[in-house]
Amino acid sequence: MRVTKGAQIVAGTALLALAVAACGGSGDTAGSSSSAAGNAGAVRVEIAEPQHDLIPGNTTETSGAEVLNALFVGLVDYDADKKPFNRVAESIESPDSTTWTIKLKDGYKWHNGEPVVAQNFVDSWNYTANGANAQEGNYFFGSIVGYDDLNPGEGKTPTATTLSGLKVVDDKTFTVELKNPFSGFPTMLGYTAFYPLPKAAFESEGKLKADFGGNPIGNGPFKVSKPWKRGTDQTISTVRNEDFKEGKAKIDAVEFKIYTDLNTAFNDLRAGNLDIMDQLPAEAISTAKSEFGDRYIEQPSSGIGYIGFPIKSGAEYAKNADVRKAISMAIDRKTITETVFSGTRVPADDFISPVVSGYRQGACGEACTYDPAKAKALFEQAGGPKMGAIEIGYNGDGGHKEWIEAVANNLRTNLGAQVTPKPVEKFATILDDLGAKKWPGTFRMAWIMDYPSPENYLRPIFGSGGSSNYSGFKSKAFDDLLTQGDAAKSIEEGVKSYQQADDLIIKDLPYIPVYFYQTNGAYSQHVKNVKIDPFERIDLFNVEKA
Amino acid sequence: MGRYVLRRLLQAIPVLLGTTFLIFAIVYALPGDPLQALAGEKRVDPVFAAAMREQFHLNEPLIVRYGYYLRDIVSGDFGTTFRGLPVSTIFEGKFQVTLKLALTAVIFEGIIGIGLGLWAALRRGRWEDKAVLAVTLLMVSIPTLVSGFVLQLMLGVKLKLATGIDFFPVAGVQDGVRSYLLPGFVLAMVSIAYLTRLTRTSLMETLRADYVRTAIAKGMPRRRVLGRHALRNSLIPMVTYLGADLGTLMGGAVITETIFNLPGIGQQLFLSVYLRENPVVVGIVTVLVLIYIVANLVVDLLYAVLDPRIRYE
Repeated sequence: MRVTKGAQIVAGTALLALAVAACGGSGDTAGSSSSAAGNAGAVRVEIAEPQHDLIPGNTTETSGAEVLNALFVGLVDYDADKKPFNRVAESIESPDSTTWTIKLKDGYKWHNGEPVVAQNFVDSWNYTANGANAQEGNYFFGSIVGYDDLNPGEGKTPTATTLSGLKVVDDKTFTVELKNPFSGFPTMLGYTAFYPLPKAAFESEGKLKADFGGNPIGNGPFKVSKPWKRGTDQTISTVRNEDFKEGKAKIDAVEFKIYTDLNTAFNDLRAGNLDIMDQLPAEAISTAKSEFGDRYIEQPSSGIGYIGFPIKSGAEYAKNADVRKAISMAIDRKTITETVFSGTRVPADDFISPVVSGYRQGACGEACTYDPAKAKALFEQAGGPKMGAIEIGYNGDGGHKEWIEAVANNLRTNLGAQVTPKPVEKFATILDDLGAKKWPGTFRMAWIMDYPSPENYLRPIFGSGGSSNYSGFKSKAFDDLLTQGDAAKSIEEGVKSYQQADDLIIKDLPYIPVYFYQTNGAYSQHVKNVKIDPFERIDLFNVEKA
Repeated sequence: MGRYVLRRLLQAIPVLLGTTFLIFAIVYALPGDPLQALAGEKRVDPVFAAAMREQFHLNEPLIVRYGYYLRDIVSGDFGTTFRGLPVSTIFEGKFQVTLKLALTAVIFEGIIGIGLGLWAALRRGRWEDKAVLAVTLLMVSIPTLVSGFVLQLMLGVKLKLATGIDFFPVAGVQDGVRSYLLPGFVLAMVSIAYLTRLTRTSLMETLRADYVRTAIAKGMPRRRVLGRHALRNSLIPMVTYLGADLGTLMGGAVITETIFNLPGIGQQLFLSVYLRENPVVVGIVTVLVLIYIVANLVVDLLYAVLDPRIRYE
């Protein structure tokens, strides 16, 4: 909406009067003075440019997911305890954790008025799981029967175009057959890649319309009000879906503003030209804390940073469990997270992140507690000083130098060890060398969850044949505990087995957990009730105007 | 004149070929696999990677790839990004933003730079002159990155919060001309300082020339001496600088556009280098070189207007 000059001056004067009177009331929407590009009453949310068009199965980064989260609702969502609860799903049940029957609620509708039916989920999942469509979220479907026929691997031709493990029973029911039992399956279903797609999205069977990603039809509380042109448009405009089953959202419209620089966005937030940021630049944390007070958000996010060891193929110090423990105990996690990361990270004390149920505070125990004297004694007892210089590999392009250097200094001072930080150009170099068993030293590593289950922090990283098992850790007892957890009757029961598996990792320490990532956000005076979920998505449905 | 222009344009062809090849080679020589950048820190799916390498000729030698690129460019096709977006779509509207920004900067330069320079030259040796020298020295020494963030914070955030004056937007282009004022000034700052000093020196030199003394001796009005004789003859170095600067400003917009979130080619260049979108980087640089060449040509033609002794054929 274009605001005329006169109107702007009037609004400006009104603001001035407020300021002079030192009136603390947040009262009327002061933001109306700054001429927003779209709807004047829209809540403005910071994002980076989504890397792909707005297609659920092709979105694995947070900015695109943020927008899609406003446009779509999934089968489940996550409550304050990070446990899944049903949204579009009426029930998700399985007698054996292998064959799942998913029933849908009545009344959810697409933005074009059609009802959401089981076929919409099956179509969407088939599309994403099809290797030929090169969707980023493809790997989420790897546990469903028939996936291998669609993704046979290099040089082979796929023998199917749909997942044989998905079957539509009727309009409101479909079944999913997994390759192996997995009690945590429902926890996966709230993720962006599992959203349904309407019939209108497809040009023909298995082929998306080219313009769908710029103007998606969703089933969520907001709908696109103006088609978005990726690469050109700087805002994605959405308005409230008046016909949403769960009721109307409390705000009329949401405008996602694309920024390239977080500092700029933060200045816009301070000036009142932006309403919500769910990540802040590290250098702004202290300003944000003092300036925003209650409107500053700090909560755990799903990432963990580790120091890893090639425990089978590496140098002598990497193979020795006591040396690994000594190194872990010599790292001053508290100081590093507070000074190097200005509080955007917190010390890690478990291999399972605080954002999933199953995390136990202090689970890592002594091994993750800073104790230089004990660390040194253990290091010497294990023969550490004779094992040569400790290498710490990291990629130079990701802002890791500072904390790696800090860790190196800790080890030098506390263990008396020789330490050589070893930067390489790209993280992929380290991964390739580890894969080829040519990387002898330690390396930095990080993990961000795919779905909020403790299993996701264990199997891919430490399980035999895990997709990201770079340490070479292999333990039958560990694998068995995971299988036991997968086959459990309920999510809660599964968690117990996973925690036992977690304990085995803590005993052996193939990786050392160093820090948990944090979500640092802030919001303006114009909004309230801002909540961020473990995927770092803002719950815009419940945001209110203040 | 026409033949001269034609000859200059023909000369531009080898320049264009050379620069694009250089930038092409440099961009693709950057360490790291552009396809890896697509996957972040995950491994790239081998099937996907193979298909992409095939599509973008990444397995062929550099010179062959450059050949493909040239072939497409000549037919007006800037190619597509690794994320499947046509580069021409990315360019849409972006050059306008940068051009508007650069023009705002040039206007600031012209008015403030030449104005301050004239004033200093006429007040030669007095405190006004010394103040101008000191201020310009300061302006040259502050990096754009610093002045950008500081001015954004002071005028965009603090001024608004303290007084309610919402004149300088923090970011974006939604406020029309106002959106470009602050970024334009920040972008121009260093150039303003240079131009001020250039104008000052150049004018001071002409003022000491024999023909100016003669004119004064003949009793010509001071205004006419200054405008007609001194200023016009000292304009050549300034025009050269301004012309060349337009190109520099468009390229130098990277930092300014990023700070003020202006969706121009500078910001795009920053993003594309970061995301390893090589086709976009090469495309932008090619267009920048073109603009540079044209700006220089215009400057050369202006010489003839300013100094009738100069003739082109």
